[in-house]
Amino acid sequence: MLENLKNLCELNGISGDEGSVRDYIINQLDGKAEYKIDNLGNIIAFKKGAKTPDKKVMISAHMDEVGGLVTYINQDGTLKFEAVGGVDPRVVFGRRVTVGRNNVNGVIGSKAVHMLNDDEKKTAVKFEQMNIDIGCTSKEQAEECVSLGDSVCFCSEYCLFGDGKIKGKAIDDRAGCAIMLKLIEQELQYDTYFTFVVQEEIGLRGATVAAYSVEPDYAIVLEATTAADVPNASDEKQVCKLGNGPVVSFMDRHTVYSKELYELCFDTAKEHSIPCQTKTMIAGGNDAGAIHLSKGGVKTCAISVPCRYLHSPSCVIDKNDFENTYELTKNLLDRIFNNDI
Amino acid sequence: MDIEKTIEALACENGISGDEFPASAKAAEMLSQYLDVTVDDFGNVFGVSKAFDESKETLLLDAHIDEIGMIVTYITDDGFLKVDKCGGLDMRLLLAQQVDVLGRETVTGVVISTPPHLEKDSKKLPEIEDIYIDVGMSKESAEKVISAGDRVYINNSLIRLQNDYVSSKALDDRAGVAAILYALELLKDKQTKYNIKVQFSVQEEIGVRGATIGAYKSDADIALAVDVSFAKTIDDKPDKCGELSKGAMIGVAPSLSREVSDKLISVAKCNNIPYQIEVMGGNTGTDADVIGITKAGIKTCTVSIPLKYMHTPVEVVSIADIENTGKLIAKFCETEEKSC
Repeated sequence: MLENLKNLCELNGISGDEGSVRDYIINQLDGKAEYKIDNLGNIIAFKKGAKTPDKKVMISAHMDEVGGLVTYINQDGTLKFEAVGGVDPRVVFGRRVTVGRNNVNGVIGSKAVHMLNDDEKKTAVKFEQMNIDIGCTSKEQAEECVSLGDSVCFCSEYCLFGDGKIKGKAIDDRAGCAIMLKLIEQELQYDTYFTFVVQEEIGLRGATVAAYSVEPDYAIVLEATTAADVPNASDEKQVCKLGNGPVVSFMDRHTVYSKELYELCFDTAKEHSIPCQTKTMIAGGNDAGAIHLSKGGVKTCAISVPCRYLHSPSCVIDKNDFENTYELTKNLLDRIFNNDI
Repeated sequence: MDIEKTIEALACENGISGDEFPASAKAAEMLSQYLDVTVDDFGNVFGVSKAFDESKETLLLDAHIDEIGMIVTYITDDGFLKVDKCGGLDMRLLLAQQVDVLGRETVTGVVISTPPHLEKDSKKLPEIEDIYIDVGMSKESAEKVISAGDRVYINNSLIRLQNDYVSSKALDDRAGVAAILYALELLKDKQTKYNIKVQFSVQEEIGVRGATIGAYKSDADIALAVDVSFAKTIDDKPDKCGELSKGAMIGVAPSLSREVSDKLISVAKCNNIPYQIEVMGGNTGTDADVIGITKAGIKTCTVSIPLKYMHTPVEVVSIADIENTGKLIAKFCETEEKSC
């Protein structure tokens, strides 16, 4: 599962340009599940289990990540870009990026710190002020390397560090994808649908159509969610903590989660001695927002890996939380099928 | 000598101000191909030409070996590190940066960033007091490998951009070190007008300190401080900067020797070496400021390699600029008279 997470995080796939992630996943699915690719680029996979249950369960994770898009080429050969998804501009300035399908190296810089006036020294550089320098000296030369609409992706190697921590870009939500791949690798008790969806970061768009196609009775969204357990956040604002297990929310900005499933999650966790926590703030949102409103409504829960510095090139999770998210999901699935709900 | 490989090897070594030994060792090893080399207690690297001739004037070629970074000041109960600046840190780019902490072993960390839901104002930049490093450890584990005083840096090794541009951390001033090494390569087995001494100075970024003692020991008559200077980015006014790919920037300033500036300009012209003039109104903010007033005074000038995005981990230089800077220094050493 860690191997898949590493490989998935190192692939580039901003919203709307998830092709390389999709190809990797399809490659892993071959022979293990039936699948189709829908019109938006979602992978809708079906894994036959030992039995066919009387209810349809769908597990979903998104393939896309935040990044940018080239919007303009300046006369001096540098590139203007726009953010894709919710990105704090302060985690983008001064970084390396790769641009477009040819993976052109670029850096994001501006005038030197020495040249800033007092106001500028205190103010973050806005996206509209940023430029990507790929080393071209004219617009004409740059046009030979990149095109408008090319993806801009963070450069950040996946690595293990500290006491069992993982750092990488796009852990949101390749962690969910990796957990689904592990579930698909094994023999399942019951038929289950797995959707690897596109365009979550720009408005839960892939999940909207995937849920429509699958028509599930129950849905489990696998995600990475904001952990703010850092020194300058007070305890009640820390939301959730690394090392305290998967996060199951009762409510966020898009969804009031199924109370039944919420309780079943904690009950399952208790039964199997899996650490589990809830979010202490009503914040964020994920594909559950689209899935639970699909057609006549779907009972939905979200199980998330707590993740520090979400939507930055340096997402940080705890290896145990990641593994426990898998364990909880697997056991929850059994409980749902075994009519504990 | 492959300039790109040289600069790559130099830039990837660590040398945050006050703890330059890895970078000094690499530079000393490279310098020893050309000169007799010593490294002092501070980490300053000195080189003296093997054929030292008392009758000649002595020329000191200086570049600083240190780079900016951070230093650990405290480990919190939760295992996060508090840090302070070593040199002119750019606060615009710190949040969520991956860093290396140079403890008893090299430890990966991430500068914390407050997530958007807690952030009332994402336009505001953090102060250094707000910065913590997440090393993913408990205080107990962290204390086993990390101590107050350990250096922290953003580990970007060299990458190639389009044309002959490269990007890396610490090009300020390993590019200067590389230019001096290239000049020495060009001067191999050649007669020079001067006795040549080289110093790769420590602690420039925190107040030109290594050069202060280095210049004292050098007994030089003339000195060139080889550093980097501002190349125009899309956001700069042209009157404040040089440009990439236009050659070395020769300093002209009240604190610099006009005689040396003039000779540099003349040497560049005579040998068709591209150059730019960098005018500074007072001091230069480089090692030249202290070298010039060492002992009874040293005729000093700056020779700067244009560089974009100074003091960031994505500094950019042109390989040709380093090459042309090396050529200019070499011709300056060879040339007898001002005119040609």
